[in-house]
Amino acid sequence: MSSDALIRTVDLRKTYITEAIETPALNGVDLELREGEFTAVAGPSGSGKSTLLHLLGGLDRPTSGEIYLNGKPMSALSKDQLAQLRLTSLGFVFQAYNLIPVLTVLENTAFVLELQGIVRSERIERARRILGELGIEEYAHQYPSRISGGEQQRVAVARAVVSDPSIVLADEPTANLDTATSLDLIDLMRRLNEGRGATFFFATHDTRLLDRVNRLITLVDGAIADDQTRNGL
Amino acid sequence: MKAAIRHLKRNRGRTILTLLAVVIPIYFLIVMFGFINSMVQDMFESSTRFDTGHMQIRAVESRATGSAQPLMADPTDALAALASIDGIEWSTVRLDLPALASVGDHTRTIFVRGVVPEEIDPISNMAERIVEGQFLTSESTGLLVGEELADLLGLGLGDDMVLLGAHPEAGLGAIRAPIAGIYNAPEATIGRTFVYASLGTARRLARSATAATAVVIRIDGVAGPQDAARMEAAADALRAALPEGYEVQGWLELLPVMDGYMKILTPMLLIMAIVFFGLGALVVVNTLYLSVMERTRELGLILALGASRLRVMGMVLTEAGIITLAGAFYGVVIGVGIILIVEAFGGIPLWGQMAAYMREVGIPPVLHMSITVPQVLLSVGAMSAIAVLAAWLPARRASKLEPMEAMRYVE
Repeated sequence: MSSDALIRTVDLRKTYITEAIETPALNGVDLELREGEFTAVAGPSGSGKSTLLHLLGGLDRPTSGEIYLNGKPMSALSKDQLAQLRLTSLGFVFQAYNLIPVLTVLENTAFVLELQGIVRSERIERARRILGELGIEEYAHQYPSRISGGEQQRVAVARAVVSDPSIVLADEPTANLDTATSLDLIDLMRRLNEGRGATFFFATHDTRLLDRVNRLITLVDGAIADDQTRNGL
Repeated sequence: MKAAIRHLKRNRGRTILTLLAVVIPIYFLIVMFGFINSMVQDMFESSTRFDTGHMQIRAVESRATGSAQPLMADPTDALAALASIDGIEWSTVRLDLPALASVGDHTRTIFVRGVVPEEIDPISNMAERIVEGQFLTSESTGLLVGEELADLLGLGLGDDMVLLGAHPEAGLGAIRAPIAGIYNAPEATIGRTFVYASLGTARRLARSATAATAVVIRIDGVAGPQDAARMEAAADALRAALPEGYEVQGWLELLPVMDGYMKILTPMLLIMAIVFFGLGALVVVNTLYLSVMERTRELGLILALGASRLRVMGMVLTEAGIITLAGAFYGVVIGVGIILIVEAFGGIPLWGQMAAYMREVGIPPVLHMSITVPQVLLSVGAMSAIAVLAAWLPARRASKLEPMEAMRYVE
């Protein structure tokens, strides 16, 4: 076990039970994610990618096994403590329905900072800075419904990194985007990874994006089938 | 707060519905308070100015005397006791006697009310109520009859009326007196029943130069039934000062029917308030529930980003709070506005049976409205509390959502 692992999972399992039907989603995942990595988890539909992300993000609880974030077990945390952990240590980009429709781009970006209780002037300044970095500052006062899907995902990425979380978890962030926009978004995430040192862990089944990551984990039937590190990217 | 306002603007139809659910009970209650205040005040004014005063000193009833009030042989000691206490605005001696009134072939049972005309006029404005003839003076030997009695007996000015006094403590007395005037009574019962005479004339009928049945009293600083404590304090002081053989009765004790009306008004208002507030609360619960359901995914996202459950609950309650504040504001503006408009036009005139009924209970056939600040605050406070309580249920539901389930929610 590496001592500098940001996230470590031990024999992580998740089984969904509906009306006495048990559906295993994860079957003993042992994984370590280190600071500064730009990691994708790939695999076919139903392979457990989203489940893994939700468990790592504290949005769901494993059936068994343990997740350590910065060396601390997450199973010991209450719902409220998990919420606090998500707020302070994790950034999220979801596949769809990412933004709050009644808030502007700037307000959406600053929302997490608001939840953290950061004063208005500081959160506006930080939100503007990240929007500038991502080249979408011009949309700061637009509502999400007035911008394209690709731009909305950029805003979601901006919101995920604005509070400098330990890791950004992205669940198929390009699923609803065309190829060019998808590549743009991944490049943008990669720039944030390199420029700000932000750690990314995202799920995708889009093979065109995989040559942009420095680590690729392949899940098959809820278990890690392959874990490749690509240096030199 | 900003987001809450935008949510409310985005769902304008539902916001207006919720707003109405708060506005309507508030303005309804204010308007009802307005009517009831005015009705109670009218009944109080009419009764205390024309009939009972705020209280009366009477002789203690030692034996049943039927409809007759016990007779005071001489109220001098009672008046001396009255003079010894503070806070008395006005008082007058009165002699009410049951009598038979005969005019031609017609005879009716009536009460002769012996009064000091110069003393009662400033309070009852009796002189202004004379529709034919003249008001009395202490020296008058004539009688005043109500329009109703004049109609019943076919009386006109100058006609003679024979009165046969039959007070059980005074024995039989008889006088013949002319009709000096016809008055318009505030209550039809008074107009049918009371024949006014000077105190001297009534005492001739009672065959006593000093007899009285009541000392009618008004207390300083009493504006309405809300000053019951002040009246009761004065009554207590008077009771302590009076010699044996006298008692003090308040206006409601003297008018048990009015006491009944007063007692029924509060529960009636309470029932109406419960119905309206209950309906308002149901609408608030319903619309906020709908709002929470519609925004399940959004609330899930907010929870997923790390918002605490308390925070999510606070977001829903903030929306309810904004609607409640706006609703309370508009409710007060509309309710108080209606009262001001009604009063600017001199009240709402009543006609037909309604007007007749109102006159029966001593209310002028014009409905007035008035409201007090505590009543406005009560209406606003009650509805606001109910609306926030109603919002608590949907707010709690929102706070209990599981982030991922909520984000997968399909409407």
